[in-house]
Amino acid sequence: MVSSVVGVDFMTSRKNILSRILSQYGISLALLIEIILFSRLSPFFFTTENILNVTLQISITAIIAAGMTFVILTAGIDLSVGALVALSGVLATSVLKLPIPLIYSFPLFLATGILVGVFSGWLSAFFITRFNVTPFIVTLALMSIWRGGAYLYTGGRPVWGLPHAFSMLGGGRVAGIPLPTLIMLAVYAAAYIVLQYTRFGRHVYAVGGNQEAARLAGINTKRVLRQVYILCGVLSALSGMLLASRMNSGQPNAGLMYELDVIAAVVVGGASLFGGRGSIVGTFVGAMLIGVSRNGLNLLNVNSYIQQIIVGLVILVAVMLDQMRKR
Amino acid sequence: MTFNQRVSVRIPKSFILAVIIPFLVLTGCGKKETRKSSKIIGVTLLTRAHLFYKDLEEGLLSAAARNNYELIITAAEFDLGRQSGQIEDFVARRVDAIIVCPADSRGVGPAIAKANQAKIPVFTADIASQEGEVVCHVASDNIAGGRQAGEYLARTLKGKGNIAIIDQPTLTSVLDRVQGFKDAVALYPDMRIVADVNGEGVRDKAMQVASDILQAHPELNGIFGINDDSALGALDAVQQFKRSGISIVGYDATPPAVDAILKNTALKADVVQYPRRIGETTIQKIREYFSGVPPQKVVPVEVGIVDRDSLSRTQTR
Repeated sequence: MVSSVVGVDFMTSRKNILSRILSQYGISLALLIEIILFSRLSPFFFTTENILNVTLQISITAIIAAGMTFVILTAGIDLSVGALVALSGVLATSVLKLPIPLIYSFPLFLATGILVGVFSGWLSAFFITRFNVTPFIVTLALMSIWRGGAYLYTGGRPVWGLPHAFSMLGGGRVAGIPLPTLIMLAVYAAAYIVLQYTRFGRHVYAVGGNQEAARLAGINTKRVLRQVYILCGVLSALSGMLLASRMNSGQPNAGLMYELDVIAAVVVGGASLFGGRGSIVGTFVGAMLIGVSRNGLNLLNVNSYIQQIIVGLVILVAVMLDQMRKR
Repeated sequence: MTFNQRVSVRIPKSFILAVIIPFLVLTGCGKKETRKSSKIIGVTLLTRAHLFYKDLEEGLLSAAARNNYELIITAAEFDLGRQSGQIEDFVARRVDAIIVCPADSRGVGPAIAKANQAKIPVFTADIASQEGEVVCHVASDNIAGGRQAGEYLARTLKGKGNIAIIDQPTLTSVLDRVQGFKDAVALYPDMRIVADVNGEGVRDKAMQVASDILQAHPELNGIFGINDDSALGALDAVQQFKRSGISIVGYDATPPAVDAILKNTALKADVVQYPRRIGETTIQKIREYFSGVPPQKVVPVEVGIVDRDSLSRTQTR
């Protein structure tokens, strides 16, 4: 987590007790308030099954958000993630249609999906580093291309009729915990360690803080950028494969607008879009905050038009709390 | 073949052949009394690549043959520019009527306005135009479709239970479906609609909201998905949380949905549209118009419902 250096100076004033609390807990506090609120309003909210349900719901976007955190830390952005979910989903599932046993086709399925993710990330980084095009434009273009590719490849129809056993990947449980939830936790644990304790992690922060300074300090900034976009691409593809398994089909219209949910999770989690500031734990809390909002509002059967407005407000309030924290 | 010569003055020969050969086949050109085609109707479909539109086209052709109308069939293939050009060509050719399945409800307006200026009557089928003057719009009766889904669920659940709707309340056709569904369910005092959530009409979102609904309602008995992606997403959620005793009804009877119904999953039935009937009805309304009876502005076409029984009956046949 980002150390909260600022805010400590104001401890003398009583009015700043609030900002001290905020400086310590920020959006975790918002999440806690939300959880208490929903628990009071719905008897079905704070149950083991529903908590597992929420983690299952957010797993898809949260896994991408872990990758997006790296990208945003370098002051970049990746808008292609939602389209990549669809493209990796339809390409990988079509491998499962081959007339070979699942034991052979499943590794091929994983390889195909991951390859799609690697390629997309590599391509983004290639245009960004080689031609100096801003990440926003490059990945916006790729978003359109991958989405179009997914529709073209499938003719707009889903890839379906997959082996039933395939649905175990997204639908299976280990010790009662959904597999996607476990995969998400593993991804976050790994991302946390990489970002906090490895040289690559420090380079990511350095590149985001000041790319030129990082380069002069001897960091291969282009390589760091290439690595973060590939990481984000692979995690998007992983999500795409998990989602395809949950639906036991490859849907060309899957992942629509996921990029916005993912970016919102990262930013709500305290990351700066200008790079250099943000944390993996923050992103996880951000993803939870958005996921819990959606889930709670659905449990309360709140009208879907109002839901959209409330989710927007939650994002605004969370970011506002974060700004107060920094002051 | 007096009939052939009459038109060949205006249109290239290959085009006449393309249009007239199926026409002749359908009218049965073997018959002695080869009548002159009384009217020429220009048709621009949304696409010819989809099964739905293939069926609609067949409906148009067979009804036109019965009335001895000549059809000039073109397709936009989702390209509004192409469709506008086709309508302009029809106007230049001074056809007697134009049938449009708009590639874009708004964008097709200016082209329809040109036909209006030339005093050529315009009819729309399946998709309505928001602009320009249209004599009559023929489309599936979405309200009736929703009603049939509601009645089916009521029958399956014996008139009582908790029901959820996987909605997409940003489309008018879907608002109609849901309205019809709610109307039907309202007739059963022991049936309650406990949730109405937005699955955005796509399977992944539908699955997510359906999972939430399953948490909120341990006693859920029925789900209505406003299209098949919504119904299949609900089915994914039901299967993932291993819930039993839930009946799902979908809409459109796409192949994956039909497959799920036949496999005896929680998806029990699907509303089907009859595009062929939309085509036939459109021609019928044109005939009414020509005979001086102004047809209604909007003509709904009946829809049906299929379940495991009816599907397995047609499959074995």
